[in-house]
Amino acid sequence: MNRLPRRSEGVTGTVATPDQGAQQSSWERFEQLYRSSRDDVFAYVATLLGDRSTAEDVTELAFERAYRRRRTFDRRRGEERAWLFGIARNAALDELRRRKRHATLVVDPEDPSVDGPDDGAEVALARTMVRQALSTLPAREREIIALKFHAGLSNAELARVLGVSESNAGTLLYRTMEKLRKACNATA
Amino acid sequence: MRLLDDTPMDPEVAAALDAIDATLAGEAVDPQYAELAELALLLADDRPAVDPVFAHTLDERVAGRFGGAARGAEQERPSRRFTWSGWLAGGVALTTLAAAVVAVFVFLPGIDHAGSTSPSSSPASSGVSSAASSAVGSASSGNSASGAASESASPHRASSGAAASRAAAPAATSPSGQTPQPQSNGRKTIQSAQLNLATAPGRVDDVAQEAFNVIGQENGIVNRSSVTQTGSADGNAFMQLSVPSSALAPTMTKLSQLTYARVASRTDNSQDVNNQYVQAKRRLADAQALRTSLLKQLANAVTTEQVDSLKAQIRDAERSISSDESSLAALNRRIAYSNISLTIFAGAQPPVTPTHHGSGGFTLGKATHDAGRVLVVVAGVLLIGLAVLLPVAVIAGLAWWVGGMVTHRRRERALDLA
Repeated sequence: MNRLPRRSEGVTGTVATPDQGAQQSSWERFEQLYRSSRDDVFAYVATLLGDRSTAEDVTELAFERAYRRRRTFDRRRGEERAWLFGIARNAALDELRRRKRHATLVVDPEDPSVDGPDDGAEVALARTMVRQALSTLPAREREIIALKFHAGLSNAELARVLGVSESNAGTLLYRTMEKLRKACNATA
Repeated sequence: MRLLDDTPMDPEVAAALDAIDATLAGEAVDPQYAELAELALLLADDRPAVDPVFAHTLDERVAGRFGGAARGAEQERPSRRFTWSGWLAGGVALTTLAAAVVAVFVFLPGIDHAGSTSPSSSPASSGVSSAASSAVGSASSGNSASGAASESASPHRASSGAAASRAAAPAATSPSGQTPQPQSNGRKTIQSAQLNLATAPGRVDDVAQEAFNVIGQENGIVNRSSVTQTGSADGNAFMQLSVPSSALAPTMTKLSQLTYARVASRTDNSQDVNNQYVQAKRRLADAQALRTSLLKQLANAVTTEQVDSLKAQIRDAERSISSDESSLAALNRRIAYSNISLTIFAGAQPPVTPTHHGSGGFTLGKATHDAGRVLVVVAGVLLIGLAVLLPVAVIAGLAWWVGGMVTHRRRERALDLA
């Protein structure tokens, strides 16, 4: 399975360092992970929660937790990105629990400015249609879409975050995509 | 999340997933997956972007290694985190403290908990302590008995049967080993004592020899003795001794301070025989006076019958004198010499060599002994602490595992309800 090329954008000061493996300090590994995953974590959390402001808090909390626990990371149990997204997922789910307790479901209103100025009307229409279809999906399926397309995880990383096998993760993703496709067609 | 069986992936599903990945990688896909590819591109393009202000703030937080106060959701639960860590630390501290207290009481029986140290640091000392406490009762009864002896010593209420007895354990004896004795006031008394000494299994012979030496120094007599040395705990010695009554107190003091023995118990008896002594002397004097009178009458006798009768009376008087003299001599011997019953037995614990604080000073042996005690106490504390902490740790681990499971279920439920 090919690794997705897209990673965090607009990160300043990134220094490309050779993989020094165990010689790298835990801080250096964390910093590297942060720079490569910041935008992905935010995109995943924002899609899951539907609230940018809360997503920012949860993203910060997730990185802080990851920083505090960076020495407990065990490479034998998976890749660092999967480990980081596991932490982010728990933080996001905690936020969902908190929302449920406080009965305050805050969802950002749709921001028309999100569509790029260069987008044509047809693309904008298709994007709106996809958003509407996505909003009809259960949270679990929205999460799979967020992990795959917004966080850019591979199917193996997706499986580790969700705690299922890779083939099960692929099947879940396929079913979700089929469901979304049908919802888009129904909307159209 | 409902887990699916880990069955091999359907080829159609695998092909669709490959098409998605190829689309995201910017590669061409089979036309049959065109719709799926378009959907994937739309989803990828609709990715929420990070606000530059937030990105800058987070970069700074990371650069500062999250220093300072926690923000966001982490800030909402400081009291809960404190509660967990506080309870844990408090529990561990209390457990350790309890273990230390228990260990001190279990492993330091030689320390009486009022703050002073008993002479023996061995477990046998607890027995000595109980003997000492029982000796208090004995002493009080001894005091009352002494009171009876004093009454009998009084000239107005003299009684030959009056007797005093006092039992003492070493803790109740004075440092010199002397015990209170009723004042004789010139009256005739018979004194005796019983002394039980404990020693190490291999020291019975030594202690017996020490006792013999003491008796020799005090001009005493060993009436009977039996020494059995086995080298084990059943070794013993028994001695029936007589010492001049004037030397009874110093003899008992010396026997109580033998080098290799410690006093297990000691009993001092005294019996007032003043009336018995006075009556014996009076009977003797009467018999002597009678003989003198009979001898005078014999000198004046004129008939054979008178002479024969007086001679018979004189013989009776002399027999009576002889009997009274022997009774009085026996009583005098009992008054002049006191009997001591000495028993030496090999106790399970070696006796403590008398130490005189302030004169012995600090020695390597004492330091080694103290160091050993400290190590034993430390090991005891650790052992008890481990015994207490182990089940606590198991319970805490179980609680942690159950808590994790519950939290996991609640999170998944929150996702289902979102």
